[in-house]
Amino acid sequence: MRKNLFTILLIGLLLVPLVAGTGFAKTLKIGSMSPLTGPYAADGNDIKNGVLTAIDVINDQGGIPGYSKIELFPQDTACDPKQAVAAANKLINLEVVGVIGAYCSSSTIPASETLAEEDIPMITPASTNEKVTDRGLPYMFRMCGRDDDQAPTAVKFMMEALGAKSLFIVDDKTTYSQGLADGVEKSARKMGMKVLGRDHVNQGDKDFSAILTMAKRTNADVLYMSLQNHASGSLMAIQARRLGLKSTVVSQDAMYHPNFIKVAKDAAEGVYVTYGFTDKSTPEFRAYAQRFTKNYGEIGAYGTYAYDAALVLLNAIKKANSTDPKKIKKQIMKMNFQGASKFVKFRPNGDSGSDYVGYKIENGEYIVYWTPQKGILK
Amino acid sequence: MDYFIQQLINGLTLGGLYALIALGYTMVYGVIQLINFAHGEFFAAGGYMGVILLSFFAGLGYIDTHPFLCIGASILLTMAYCAFLAMGVERVAYKPLRRASRLAALVSALGMSIFLSNGLMLTQGVFDKAYPSELIQGGFEVGTVIVSYLQLVIMGLTILLLVGLNILVFKTRVGMAMRATAQDKIMSSLVAISSNRIIAMTFAIGAGLAACAGIMVGFYYGSVRYDMGFVPGIKAFAAAVLGGIGNITGAMLGGLIIGMVEIFGAAYISGQYKDVFAFIILISVLYFKPTGIMGENVDDTRV
Repeated sequence: MRKNLFTILLIGLLLVPLVAGTGFAKTLKIGSMSPLTGPYAADGNDIKNGVLTAIDVINDQGGIPGYSKIELFPQDTACDPKQAVAAANKLINLEVVGVIGAYCSSSTIPASETLAEEDIPMITPASTNEKVTDRGLPYMFRMCGRDDDQAPTAVKFMMEALGAKSLFIVDDKTTYSQGLADGVEKSARKMGMKVLGRDHVNQGDKDFSAILTMAKRTNADVLYMSLQNHASGSLMAIQARRLGLKSTVVSQDAMYHPNFIKVAKDAAEGVYVTYGFTDKSTPEFRAYAQRFTKNYGEIGAYGTYAYDAALVLLNAIKKANSTDPKKIKKQIMKMNFQGASKFVKFRPNGDSGSDYVGYKIENGEYIVYWTPQKGILK
Repeated sequence: MDYFIQQLINGLTLGGLYALIALGYTMVYGVIQLINFAHGEFFAAGGYMGVILLSFFAGLGYIDTHPFLCIGASILLTMAYCAFLAMGVERVAYKPLRRASRLAALVSALGMSIFLSNGLMLTQGVFDKAYPSELIQGGFEVGTVIVSYLQLVIMGLTILLLVGLNILVFKTRVGMAMRATAQDKIMSSLVAISSNRIIAMTFAIGAGLAACAGIMVGFYYGSVRYDMGFVPGIKAFAAAVLGGIGNITGAMLGGLIIGMVEIFGAAYISGQYKDVFAFIILISVLYFKPTGIMGENVDDTRV
């Protein structure tokens, strides 16, 4: 009997810190979804780190009234629809008040349906497929651009800046890459470019020699490379160079990543990509860049959008002084500020506008080469 | 016609790489009837060890002065490293199960594969590691057909290794001992052949070939990643089965066929179905000839 009493006392003592911990501190929980492992891990970790940087900034500004801290629950989607839905369910169980993510459109679309059942606001920093915001979900927002803007811009870029008259299109059959390639094919036909061929590869393929030989035979002015992942992109660029492909390689936002150049090296030189325009001279961008590089190293691609998305969510909660999704949405719609990536202002459907420009890879860097308004720069 | 020849060269390069990996599967199966699912990881480990050694040489500054010496040394050291790795794996994961059921060893192989692949991920990171492909640059043109020196190196090295292996297995005493162990472990041990040593050696040779393929793949595609062993592993396993598992010539042939079918399927039909073509060939061969292409003389020449 005495021994039992002792045990109970001991357990009681052990429980004290737990009870004390939960009783006084109120935590604001937010979630992030992005591929943290696998081939897309580079972009996925940028997104997570972008959100963490935003939380850091908000904390420095005094945090969110009524909460002692902001906690992020980063979820790994691995760019897999099933895992994305599982991650969304996990975030629902954790009772997060908002989610930043996901990266691949094919993850964002199913995950947002799950989050929508609980009316949890979701802001994607990177999914560009039209369907993300076209399904009429009330709490779905997007920081980056749309592919039905990117595709015509890309075609206009190829015609105006490169003087190209024909193209060969390759995609790797994801919601994003195939959707974008379809859009480019449609715009090209409409605007008078010749589509000399179109073929698909599989995600994770390493050998593109067959398809590149095919592209070489068509003698197209441009090889339009629509791949989900910059790692496959580097492989394709290297092999295109080796096979003596004379077409100019044009790609899209997924190739905007320092790792693309690091792996492809010389083969990346002279590759063009379309990606959202970020004014790197704004104080907002510089403040972000300083903080991000200090903690996480080199700035990738979509970390900047993730940072802005997290700022939007946290500031909306702060201003609404509530975590009620309706009130958060009202505040998000009122947003009107210069973010790190762009000037943030949302449209009724949840989009925040596209601003695609053409970048050229030169001496290992992405250089703004062409804008739809001004044409070729310098 | 030029198009066909260009694709043929693409196919031969890829097929040669598959053949090098397939040999490891087939040799191990020949000797202990185990499908070594960790074999793809030896290939990945080889790819990584190669880039580590090459950057080590680059750090010493030798790579600019003696590029080919450095590449050669890296290949030899990597092959040796993977041979020892494979012997270690065999000692830890398969030898204790030699008398257990074949299923136990198979599960152990799967576990080893996951362990090694995750080990690579944890030590080397999740990102692609760039290879110094610029060391073997250039090529020559015949008409519109471009043959890169790298493709020649890969094909040449593959042929060299295949010939070397054939001499080892069919012309030397060690090869004879290997063939004897494959035929009957008990009988061969009665004539003073240490089956444990022969089995370890088989693992070592198979892993050495895979390691060489790993470096070649690194050069050819420009990068390596921790999970690079999985897909080529499956394809090479298919190649080994296609050729008749346990048969060395069959594995070489199977590798070439799988590589060719993949490239020509992509070249003349569509790139998205290239894996489908490879496996259709596998299934149809197995349907009509379950022992594989070279499978009939199983008792005679298998290792």
